[in-house]
Amino acid sequence: MMRKFKDDPYILLTSLGLFISLAMVAFIVGLIMVRGLGFFWPRQVLLVELKDGTRYLGEVWETETVSEKQPDGTIKTDHKIQLKIGNRDLYGLDFTWVEEKDVVRREHPPAATVFERLEYGNFYGMMRSLQVGEQIYRDEVERHAREALKIAHRLEKKIEAKQKALNELTAPLNRLQRELSLLKISDEAGQPRVVQKIQRLEREEENLKRRIAEKYRRLNEQLLQLNQEKQKIFLQVQAASGETRTILLADVVRFYQPNRMSRWQKIQLYFSKLGEFLTAAPRESNTEGGVFPAIFGTVMMVLLMSIAVVPFGVLAAIYLNEYAKQGVVVRLIRLSVNNLAGVPSIVFGIFGLGFFIYVVGGSLDQLFFSDKLPEPTLGTGGILWASLTLALLTLPVVVVATEEGILAVPRANKEGALALGATRWQMIRQIVLPNAMPGILTGLILAISRGAGEVAPLMITGVVKLAPTLPIDGTFPFLHLDRKFMHLGFHIYDVGFQSPNVEAAKPMVYTTALLLILIVIFLNLLAIFIRNRLKKKYKASAF
Amino acid sequence: MEISTSRMTRKEKNELPVKNRIVIETRNLNFYYSDQNHALKNINLQIPERQVTALIGPSGCGKSTLLRCFNRMNDLIPGTYLTGEVLLDGQNIYNRSLRLEELRKRVGMVFQKSNPFPMSIWENVAFGPKVNGITNRSELEELVVSALKQADLWREVKDRLKTSALDLSGGQQQRLCIARALANKPEIILMDEPASALDPISTGKIEETIETLKTQYTIVIVTHNMQQAARVSDFTAFMMMGELVEFNPTRKLFTNPDEKLTEDYITGRFG
Repeated sequence: MMRKFKDDPYILLTSLGLFISLAMVAFIVGLIMVRGLGFFWPRQVLLVELKDGTRYLGEVWETETVSEKQPDGTIKTDHKIQLKIGNRDLYGLDFTWVEEKDVVRREHPPAATVFERLEYGNFYGMMRSLQVGEQIYRDEVERHAREALKIAHRLEKKIEAKQKALNELTAPLNRLQRELSLLKISDEAGQPRVVQKIQRLEREEENLKRRIAEKYRRLNEQLLQLNQEKQKIFLQVQAASGETRTILLADVVRFYQPNRMSRWQKIQLYFSKLGEFLTAAPRESNTEGGVFPAIFGTVMMVLLMSIAVVPFGVLAAIYLNEYAKQGVVVRLIRLSVNNLAGVPSIVFGIFGLGFFIYVVGGSLDQLFFSDKLPEPTLGTGGILWASLTLALLTLPVVVVATEEGILAVPRANKEGALALGATRWQMIRQIVLPNAMPGILTGLILAISRGAGEVAPLMITGVVKLAPTLPIDGTFPFLHLDRKFMHLGFHIYDVGFQSPNVEAAKPMVYTTALLLILIVIFLNLLAIFIRNRLKKKYKASAF
Repeated sequence: MEISTSRMTRKEKNELPVKNRIVIETRNLNFYYSDQNHALKNINLQIPERQVTALIGPSGCGKSTLLRCFNRMNDLIPGTYLTGEVLLDGQNIYNRSLRLEELRKRVGMVFQKSNPFPMSIWENVAFGPKVNGITNRSELEELVVSALKQADLWREVKDRLKTSALDLSGGQQQRLCIARALANKPEIILMDEPASALDPISTGKIEETIETLKTQYTIVIVTHNMQQAARVSDFTAFMMMGELVEFNPTRKLFTNPDEKLTEDYITGRFG
């Protein structure tokens, strides 16, 4: 080995370069993996008592050693523990730092319970009693609470369904009222024609109100009753500081007692939390809950982008290689296309905003949705415009890769097809395109890798930190390309830097980053798999 | 100088060595790869129906270029142009009135290196009829089978028509390419050194195939192998440096050539 280096010292230099690059990549991936995957593991809950009598109950989040040089020259070392104590509604902050030297007592009480709540983050404390309806439990509270939690969740679902029914019932009325109010403030409100219309609409409104009144009253009553029932299922929980809080079980996502859980139970909890992360919507300004809307938005945007970019890129590449007269102009175009790949992505974003949203979307609004103006329908950011912007951004990649694929098609095959009387297009369709398919898919892979991770252009073309609805749902026309959407890349930025509770959100950032990497890898593997299958089919032709 | 005089002699005599009907005729054909590269010089040649005509000559003499003029394959090379006429049954094929696809359907071609498409054997043979508008399954089936039989490949592949053509041996692939050309029911088949990449046994098979095909088709074959030309062809054209030196029945050209140059070439004094 050393001899080899002596013979050619550049082996050492080049291998060192490779080693450093790989080490850095391994470090970042490893960091994201460890931090991201560790997030869901239930940690022990620690109870500490300090010299001054303060008691904290929480998870050990981090430990830190601070060395300080004293004026007399000695070095003083302090150990600090960061505890996640939750109970935001009691203490205001989720985290606290405790100096090791102040701690007089520390233990892991088996009854310590972690409540994941819909609001205000986690609560750490001991269950004292449970009330369900009129019944009060003081023994085996934990077992009964588990049952009660299920009941509460079922109630919650019922309430949601009723609420939805109520919204649907009043939707036409709301639309009518909105139209009326717009008419009343419009410039033409004084004209007889408009006055008539307003009167007609008002009559309609009255009719509608009368028609739905009975149903509305009934639904409201049911809702009220369900809500009352829900209020009667609650726990009394005592925090470490001694105060007791009432926790409505309907507001609790799950609770667990990590100090007495077996490894197996922890694994189960781990996967249940992981499942929630992947399938649920975010809560608490994205710092808790899941990221499903962001996953959905990312994947859907990448698919839309692929649908848009591949046909255009392939057609362009075919024209450049098969039809265009090779010369200065074609070379210039090729150079420009290649350079397009180097344009900063934010520039594409601004172009998308200016062209797709304002010009195209604005014109479509004028044409088809003029009744809703001045409120824009398509003239505002949405998943369609974001996808088209990214398609434009990744177009050069697809063109270049397709061109390479086309160049790799043996000339003999092309001539053979033409010699059999095929037209140029038949030759392209049946000989060139199938043979160039691996190249096209390589382009798609590169486009996906680039597009899925892009954030900057999305921020001005339709990504939001919280989208109330998915771009696909059960209401007509099912596919809502005009809707704003969530995206994992933007989610990372939002949770990591825009969050009101950055400390609590930190693990979420790692997990989301890991997820984004995994999704990109998955999409890539899919494309690579298809490409390899095609390559196998055509391998022998490239002699 | 000598070359041009020999051509003049032929013209003066105005004597045709051919008795059969003429299917392809070139009149003062000049071909340029670029302004500097004058590849074919004033070629006047008449190719008889249902005979095998061989084009021989040293490398770079323009025999392949001439062959590719007959189905306008040279059109694919940018920057080339030509003057003069190529008549197919009396009609100039460089006239706009003749569709390129129609021409290539009538004038099939087999290339030097076998070039089966990366598809099944069946798909390969059916490619020509399909692109020329035949969609009827049974009609296609009939064309494919008869083409494979004519190319003497049917016995070897009839049980694996759906397998990839790329799994065939080199000789089989070349016969597949012949079958593929035959499926179009062409009038003329152009062969550009069809056996040059094959072993002697495969070459023999190809030559046998040519022998049987000649009863139905006009064949023009380019070869650098003079024995092969002597074996398979009825007429031979000897070309040199872009000019047609001599065109005669094969027996005459090889035993008693009119031109001194031809004699020098076939006796191996150069080339």
